[in-house]
Amino acid sequence: MAEVPNKADFFEASRAGVADLELRRKLENASGRHLEHVAEMRAEFPPFEAERDEARRIKEDTIEHLDEYLIALKAKLEANGCVVFFAADAAQAREYILEVAKKNKVKRVVKGKSMTTEEIGLNNSLMRTGIEVTETDLGEYIVQLRREPPSHIITPAIHLSKEDIGQLFAEKLHTPYTAEPAELTAQARTKLRSIFLAADMGITGVNFAIAETGTLVVIENEGNGRLSSTLPDIFVGVMGIEKVIPKLEDVSYFLEILARTATGQKLTTYTNFINGPRRRGEIDGPREVHVVILDNGRSAMLADPVMREALYCIRCGACLNVCPIYRRIGGHAYNSTYPGPIGSIISPGLFGSAAGHLPFASTLCGACRDICPVRIDIPRILLHLRWKETEGQSNLKWPRAAQRVRKGVRRFAKMAQHPRTIRALGKIGSWVLRPFSRDGWVRWMPAPFNAWTKLRDFPRPHPHRQRKPSDTAA
Amino acid sequence: MAEFHKLLARLKGALETPKAPGAHENHAPAAHVPVASIAQRAELASTFARELEAVSGRFLGTLSAEQAAASVATLARDNAAKSAAIGEGVVTKMSLFSAALEGTGCTLMKPRGIDKGQEKNRAAMIEQFATCDIGIAEAHFAIASTGTFAVMTAEARPSSLTLLPPISVIIVNIDRLVPNLAAAIAGFGADAITHNRVSFITGPSRTADIEKRIVMGVHGPKILYGAIIWPNE
Repeated sequence: MAEVPNKADFFEASRAGVADLELRRKLENASGRHLEHVAEMRAEFPPFEAERDEARRIKEDTIEHLDEYLIALKAKLEANGCVVFFAADAAQAREYILEVAKKNKVKRVVKGKSMTTEEIGLNNSLMRTGIEVTETDLGEYIVQLRREPPSHIITPAIHLSKEDIGQLFAEKLHTPYTAEPAELTAQARTKLRSIFLAADMGITGVNFAIAETGTLVVIENEGNGRLSSTLPDIFVGVMGIEKVIPKLEDVSYFLEILARTATGQKLTTYTNFINGPRRRGEIDGPREVHVVILDNGRSAMLADPVMREALYCIRCGACLNVCPIYRRIGGHAYNSTYPGPIGSIISPGLFGSAAGHLPFASTLCGACRDICPVRIDIPRILLHLRWKETEGQSNLKWPRAAQRVRKGVRRFAKMAQHPRTIRALGKIGSWVLRPFSRDGWVRWMPAPFNAWTKLRDFPRPHPHRQRKPSDTAA
Repeated sequence: MAEFHKLLARLKGALETPKAPGAHENHAPAAHVPVASIAQRAELASTFARELEAVSGRFLGTLSAEQAAASVATLARDNAAKSAAIGEGVVTKMSLFSAALEGTGCTLMKPRGIDKGQEKNRAAMIEQFATCDIGIAEAHFAIASTGTFAVMTAEARPSSLTLLPPISVIIVNIDRLVPNLAAAIAGFGADAITHNRVSFITGPSRTADIEKRIVMGVHGPKILYGAIIWPNE
């Protein structure tokens, strides 16, 4: 089954994530590099902002006429020789794919990276029937070997160091230990190539489905998506209902902004247009192409006028990399297929009240809205979901900790009106905190003050520092 | 089928709720400038070469077909290639490449599709591609602004040709060099895209899944050579 978020687990995993300095180092390292690339790519492409607006406009139009475009897509896909299946929920999607596998006596499945198949928990269902399922995206392959879910929608193994992966390969693939990424990649290539050549079924996600031509667009950098949709006899593309776009000419806007925002590239290495089974005489390509179009809570999101905007998402993952919460707790803490800011708005739609706590896991800083290639107003949706979560709870009480914070802030607000008092307290504070401080920071204090230092450091007040109007927080 | 109609009913019901007003402005799509003159073609070729190398591709040059064939033979020798697969050309005579490679002692494989009743040989033919050292194909279009080749598959130009061999060589005619992705898609047109598989290839296969370090050749070719064919006029 797919992961289902849980409030208690989230708080526990968040605390563990915040305290895990090594995890934070890895996340900061990977997210930092990503954001540098994205900034460079955007800066050197002047039409970027106009393309974002155009992509946004296309998404708005598509979602407003989703029923019509799905009818057109289905007709074109079928005319191209594909078999189309509409799944109301995860169970229907899984059952259909299992049925196709059984009918074709499938023994080995290769999978390209697909968050939608993670959402429906496909791997476990296939494996339970004795089918061997191999994730072929390198990051997905790594986390599959560790028997854990991806921690990022673009970079699934972002939480692991090269040393972690070296040890994993030595243990699971029985290869000589190395921490060199090029050698680790070569080891995975050798192992996975033989699996590709023996596979009976390939399954990938679908980035866009063009209604005008009945084309499935699958983008990737490694070539595993191409291999999964080219070599096995049966190919299954799994997509959410929101992945449809109306016209062929629309796709270039999305491809350009998606690559620039997801990976900091101008275009991904492989952009594959798949339009049906191989024709007579062709050597490669699948004999059968099945397209599973999944609702699973999306039509309910469509019915909510504010939530509807969440269906514009093109799964670039950039909002995760800028999110101060994600960067401190990592993807696994969310315990949802979709972590980070975008996960916090779509998980309640997909998993219901079990994910009701996730919209609160945000500082509402707005960095996600700024980086989103289709300008989804994520903070607005988060606030809407918070309101929905607490709506009707007239006896809602502030948690005790929040009450204490509120009282504390009110007292501080009164005190802040008296600069002399503040300065005097600063001096006293500096003197009191001196035994606990090192390098200008207080990292530990005894109870009850340790409620703060358990989770974060505190700067030691400077006895002689005069605050100026320009002294604002960074 | 019943599920599809149920879904449509759900969507129609959902869309009866008007969407929340937003503050986003609409913009007209960017205009795409057609390319015609020799000077513009030269500029596009220069941009393409720069962009191909920026994505770790290796640019062989803007060459005549004969020069390109000689260049491919040289790289086959340099890489100690023993076998090569050559796909059907789009506008270029690929026989020039076959002759040049045969001169280096390479074993050649020329895919010609599968005849009726030969389906069982399919897996063996794909394995043959996988063991080839070099795959050579001609692209329908190349995109200057991104260093991308757009290759359309055909019976004698299978997708495996640019995917399985560790070294990939892709050529494109100068007349088919376009400024951007939108122009390439428009060049194919909706009809061709409806009926054919197309791969847009921007550099060799790559991954950054291990600590964001870029490594080439994770699944597809480790090396991608590109050449623009500018016929002698």
